[in-house]
Amino acid sequence: MDSFQLLLDGFAGALTPVNLMYALIGVTLGTLVGVLPGIGPAMTVALLLPITFTVPPTSAFIMFAGIYYGGMYGGSTTSILLNTPGESSSMITALEGNKMARRGRAAQALATAAIGSFVAGTIATALLVVAAPAVVSFAISFGPEDYFALAILAFTAVSSVLSRSVVRGLASLGFGLVIGLIGIDQQTGQARLTLGLDQLLDGVDVVVVAVGLFALGEALYVASRLRHSLPEVVPVGRAWMGRTDWRRSWLPWLRGTAFGFPFGALPGGGAEIPTFLSYAAEKRLARGVAKEEFGKGAIEGVAGPEAANNASAAGTLVPLLTLGLPTSATAAILLAAFQQYGLQPGPQLFDHNPALVWGMIASLFIGNTMLLVLNLPLAPLWARVLRIPRPYLYAGIVLFAALGVYALNGSVVDLVALFLLGLLGYAMRRFGLPVAPAVIGLILGPMAEIQLRRALAIGAGDVTTLVRSPIAVILLLLALAALVAPLFRKLMTRRRTEPIVPASRED
Amino acid sequence: MSSDNTGQKQRRRWRPELGLAVIVLALGVFVVLGTLDVSAAASQLGIGPRFFPMLVGCSMIAIGLFYVADVLRGGSGDPEESEDVDVDAPADWRSVGLVSGIFLAFTAVLNVLGWIIAASLLFFGLSVVLGAEHKLRAAGVGVALGIATYLLFVKGLGVSLPGGLLRGVI
Repeated sequence: MDSFQLLLDGFAGALTPVNLMYALIGVTLGTLVGVLPGIGPAMTVALLLPITFTVPPTSAFIMFAGIYYGGMYGGSTTSILLNTPGESSSMITALEGNKMARRGRAAQALATAAIGSFVAGTIATALLVVAAPAVVSFAISFGPEDYFALAILAFTAVSSVLSRSVVRGLASLGFGLVIGLIGIDQQTGQARLTLGLDQLLDGVDVVVVAVGLFALGEALYVASRLRHSLPEVVPVGRAWMGRTDWRRSWLPWLRGTAFGFPFGALPGGGAEIPTFLSYAAEKRLARGVAKEEFGKGAIEGVAGPEAANNASAAGTLVPLLTLGLPTSATAAILLAAFQQYGLQPGPQLFDHNPALVWGMIASLFIGNTMLLVLNLPLAPLWARVLRIPRPYLYAGIVLFAALGVYALNGSVVDLVALFLLGLLGYAMRRFGLPVAPAVIGLILGPMAEIQLRRALAIGAGDVTTLVRSPIAVILLLLALAALVAPLFRKLMTRRRTEPIVPASRED
Repeated sequence: MSSDNTGQKQRRRWRPELGLAVIVLALGVFVVLGTLDVSAAASQLGIGPRFFPMLVGCSMIAIGLFYVADVLRGGSGDPEESEDVDVDAPADWRSVGLVSGIFLAFTAVLNVLGWIIAASLLFFGLSVVLGAEHKLRAAGVGVALGIATYLLFVKGLGVSLPGGLLRGVI
């Protein structure tokens, strides 16, 4: 087993004291932002980008991966103890989890979520170890036209899956693509869409866009319709569960993992759909006590979706690392982090930087174990974080947003750009435009352009080059299907108006 | 072109979302017009720096048209749900305006007053607008945060933040 040996080397790299410290910082920060409303892992990684510039890449990615996984754990604590989820991906957990908490079974709900996340995270990371080299050996033959088609598929899939209205998802994508165009064209040195402003020649920094859309947008949105009563937090002791709970949880954990991993790996798959499917499956499979408890707080309804949620996070890393294809907002920010270090995820990354890739993957196993320890005994501590008064919380979020953006270039112009993007983020939330497509468009757009121009240069400007490879044709057809499918669904069920998938923020 | 509301909640005739839809459309036009200025002379083979922006611009125009049509026909997205947001509450424009004003004032005075003072004022102002009950405590937390972030980021992590009035003191 070649990749097994590489993984062992990765463990050797990740188990140094310094990297263990970065992993611990990452998972702690990740759990914190996962628990806190208003901020998520995508924004946290974005804010940390400027100050991690001096950190060696392996350590930085170990920390970022910890934040990503930690955010998934923290979100479940919020959804169980408050009726409303911390992250869109734990929305389903709130259905049964909060009802369990209200019936006095908060400790068991938290335990099945944490242990389920650990089981799913570990299995899914193992699947990543197996799947990544397989995808790499397949993707090594990809030409630029295939990568371009892949980007198009990611664009349409993300836009149509994350919003009930395809046109709103596409509008969000368009905002990201347009912002990505601003600045000097890398190949010819021509300035594009800079309005004659020198500050725009370098383009708009990813950090400014991500922090503006997420942090400032959220703060303005909350200001516009603040719920003036503090939400009720269910009190909880140490998380634990009894023998019956174990018996009822282990199968949902495994089934949730089976839903989560493949969906995470698909463009536009994300965590929302697999958690929803897992919930539906558990509800249908429920027998006896569980069947009666569904809707009133069944442990299966927490165990399955939470496992699916974490497995999808590991799944997301497959296309990100092997193809350089982000399928969620956090993955897009991670891709931007790779670019900051001058690295391009893809088959070559596994060849040129095995220590980095396998160190990061090994750190996922380590981080998962740390998260289990952080979340089982310390649940009451995280529950107290939920009691931070909201005025302080959002004022603090804006303060850190301003700090992170100012730290980029020490420029007040960036702060004004941050504010304008915050207004855009506010409007997008207000009118139900998902934010993730904008972030993915911003980061993947310039890469799609490079691949497009490369493909057309090879084909001497002949547009049919783009459909010469069968892989590209299949990907483009799938992209078209992703756009058209919701229209069909709308035509078929004109009468029904129920939302299919909850609106997404960041995952 | 009247904005009939088929089903759903009663809405006013002018829908604010139309503004956003028009912005999408206008952005598409802007990209197309802005790209015309870019000289294509640099490219002899394949495509130059104009092709992709044109593609994006034209797509944006198409998306904008569909979006405007959708809003006019009464379509709407789901306002995002969040734990601290009351989705059914009417928009509180005063708070949004105050938050915006405080943030812009912060950007204006940051370099003059320095990070510690400006950030403390930013935190205090925002928390009061967002409903902090104890003003004195909010001010205390603001000053503590301002000093703590300055020490952590400037002394600890080597980020440069403006010292302003307190330069030399801290």
